[in-house]
Amino acid sequence: MEYTRKLVDKLSVEQLKVELLNTAYGNDRTFLAKLDPRTLFIWYSFFGIVPWFIHNEKVLAGMFLFMAAATFTARVSPVIIFILCLGLLGQGGYLFIAALFFGGDWAVMYPLLVLTLKLSVISLASIAAFCSMDPEKLSNGLLKIGVPGQAAFSIAYGYRMLPTLIEEYQHVFQSFRLRGKAPEKHGFLYWRTIAYFIKLAVLSFYPLLLSMAKRARTTVEALETKGSLNGFNDPAVKKLKLSGLKMGRADYGFLLFSAVYAAALFILF
Amino acid sequence: MTAQIEVRDVTFRYPGGDRAVLDKASLTVEKGEFVAILGGNGSGKSTLCKLLNGLIPHYYTGDFEGEVIVENMRTLDCKVAELSGIVGYVYQDFENQIVSPRVLDDACFAPLHQGMTDYLERGHEALRSVGLDHRQDDFIWQLSGGQKHLLALAGILSLNPDIIIIDEPVAQLDPKHAREIYDILRSLNEQGKTIIVIEHHTEFVAEYAQQVVLMDDGKVLFKKPVKEALNEVELLLERQIFPPQVTQAASLAGVDGPLPITPDEAAKHFSGGVRPLPSETGPARTGGGEELVVYRDTGFSVNTITREKRRILDDLNLTIRDGDHIALVGNNGAGKTSFMKLMTGLVKPDLGEVMVCGERTADRPPEYFAEKVAYIHQNPEQMFIDDSVEKDVGFFMKARKTPDLEVRVEELLRQFRLEELRERDSRLLSGGQQRRVSLAIGVGMIPEILVLDEPTANLDIATRKQITRLLDELKHQLKAVVIATHDMQLACEFANRIIVMNEGRIIHDGDRDSVFGNARLLEKAGLIPPQVFAFSQSIGWEPPAYTVDEFVRRFAGKEAEHGVYA
Repeated sequence: MEYTRKLVDKLSVEQLKVELLNTAYGNDRTFLAKLDPRTLFIWYSFFGIVPWFIHNEKVLAGMFLFMAAATFTARVSPVIIFILCLGLLGQGGYLFIAALFFGGDWAVMYPLLVLTLKLSVISLASIAAFCSMDPEKLSNGLLKIGVPGQAAFSIAYGYRMLPTLIEEYQHVFQSFRLRGKAPEKHGFLYWRTIAYFIKLAVLSFYPLLLSMAKRARTTVEALETKGSLNGFNDPAVKKLKLSGLKMGRADYGFLLFSAVYAAALFILF
Repeated sequence: MTAQIEVRDVTFRYPGGDRAVLDKASLTVEKGEFVAILGGNGSGKSTLCKLLNGLIPHYYTGDFEGEVIVENMRTLDCKVAELSGIVGYVYQDFENQIVSPRVLDDACFAPLHQGMTDYLERGHEALRSVGLDHRQDDFIWQLSGGQKHLLALAGILSLNPDIIIIDEPVAQLDPKHAREIYDILRSLNEQGKTIIVIEHHTEFVAEYAQQVVLMDDGKVLFKKPVKEALNEVELLLERQIFPPQVTQAASLAGVDGPLPITPDEAAKHFSGGVRPLPSETGPARTGGGEELVVYRDTGFSVNTITREKRRILDDLNLTIRDGDHIALVGNNGAGKTSFMKLMTGLVKPDLGEVMVCGERTADRPPEYFAEKVAYIHQNPEQMFIDDSVEKDVGFFMKARKTPDLEVRVEELLRQFRLEELRERDSRLLSGGQQRRVSLAIGVGMIPEILVLDEPTANLDIATRKQITRLLDELKHQLKAVVIATHDMQLACEFANRIIVMNEGRIIHDGDRDSVFGNARLLEKAGLIPPQVFAFSQSIGWEPPAYTVDEFVRRFAGKEAEHGVYA
């Protein structure tokens, strides 16, 4: 009981907000974070897609080592890694049990491990690439490769609103708690309490939508007066905005190293 | 020379609105003026200002008649973006005006998106002029409310507009920060910029503005120099606008000729070598009542974005007893809100303990303490969780299956004069109405203690008086009331106990005499006493008067006494 309460305290909404923002903006000093977004796009488009078509487990294992190293240098938040492991183990474990249940034997273990390895390579590549770009950088990178200005802006803006959204949600949720009534008995396996919280979590979205809609009105007006609605797709503005993006020595070096590493894997195995 | 701004006979109706928000409004403003717009809620002040940057009629396409000329351009003929280089607008909900996550990026946003190559210098310059240059690399969620307001101002200054409009700059700020922003506005004005503020606080108007525009029901009633305007005491009071306290006092005391509008001017009328009558006592404290809330060595901290713990409250020891009507004062960020939330059980202390009605808050869920302590948010909207006033007020009782639910809700609606609004969605009401709903929700929880965060912020003075009256009535229904407030008039008139907080600690626990009589305390906590108090102190009254009424009574008594001896 005491233990559960401690865990619940750690998983507070406040903590969630801190983790999210840290993931988005926290690591701007790592090697990967200093690279040009285009480098990361190219890198990701290889390591995020190619593993799907590879069945050689040695090559996959080699890639896995590289991705693990990249993720390590990107200093990804432990929460994300935890969620990833949970997902991979859950998925693999469930398939394994299902296979056993329907008459398979221990032999299914091996293909499942290969699948899990494949998924890990791809997931780690995504995490390493996207955790290394803060939303501004991602937005600028997308703008550079030709995504329309509005779409690129909405990514950066979405993240700017994230803490506000979470706070607002928390307020609504707290209001429900302060005025509602928690079940007096927890019920079998806490089901009453769990059902109560799930109900609140869902109900809280409705007031949240309304209040965010009200805020958005001011924002859109402000964007209008800041001239951004024209500016988003004006080539001159785009040039000004992206003048800071340059492929440097580190970028080419990183891409070259990745290419050599991948080639070596294919040649050796 | 032609005027910089000319509004000619403008009538405007919002799309779908059933009434003209502006009704043949006309106004001229010369370059370099500092103009304050006064008017009750709903008189059309914000709408008038949105005419000037072209949001009306370009963005809000309602029924528009008449014309608006800004720097020789008809707003009808040019784009909003063009006008934004000339007119900058800081919204009342300025937080939503900030669009980038980093401070410098937001300051640069407008010039960048208008394709100006020197956008970075402009951003730097704008941040410098509001004194935020040391925070340029920070995230906006690391800023305080006051700093966000300054950033919103910087965001428009980066375009170097000639005209700056600010909608209620001090509504959410403590008096010290309020003064800071007005000083910045004054220095911008001295650089030749036209400043237009929408403001309820006439004491700021008297001190900073040169011209006053009075609006009522969509019309501009007058535009006059500030001294003349604030002398129209009757005209203003009829519209529920209250002139500065010294002006009110002078008017009630029957001063001849033009009324003073600042303490300096008033000194001439009221000084003299006469001894004032004995002072009147403030709300009395019964003392010795039952212990309701006890803080014992309480500390509280939150996780910051950099994963460090930041201490919000430290070493609190305090007992709240039956019969306490507490005002919790101190500048923004002193820890008032966290202090109050600890009582609700929503957050738990990480050092020491908080006891509510004999039970540790750490041992039970907030739903349990909700029956003892009702917390009313600073922003009433955060309390609205149902889709009509009636349902919101009854939510708590319904969850607890109170038998005479309908009768109780009916009573509450009557007490807070919400009968006609019962079907409406609370979020769509005006500020004052929302505040009344939030009070009704709080009282509907039948608590022993009512805790209110800034109950009079963002309200015009008339609504503020209304809320103050309601709060006074509530004293009899509840065992204790705690109010966190920047409104020193409210603190003086309402509280029998004033607690001063500063940087997470309680630095004083006393009453209005011990707080306002202590100049060093006021300085340290950034508190500014009510104008009439400071004024009567400056002309040598000992003890000074706390309210205009007290001042006038004592002054009148003094005259009579003087008369006898003369």
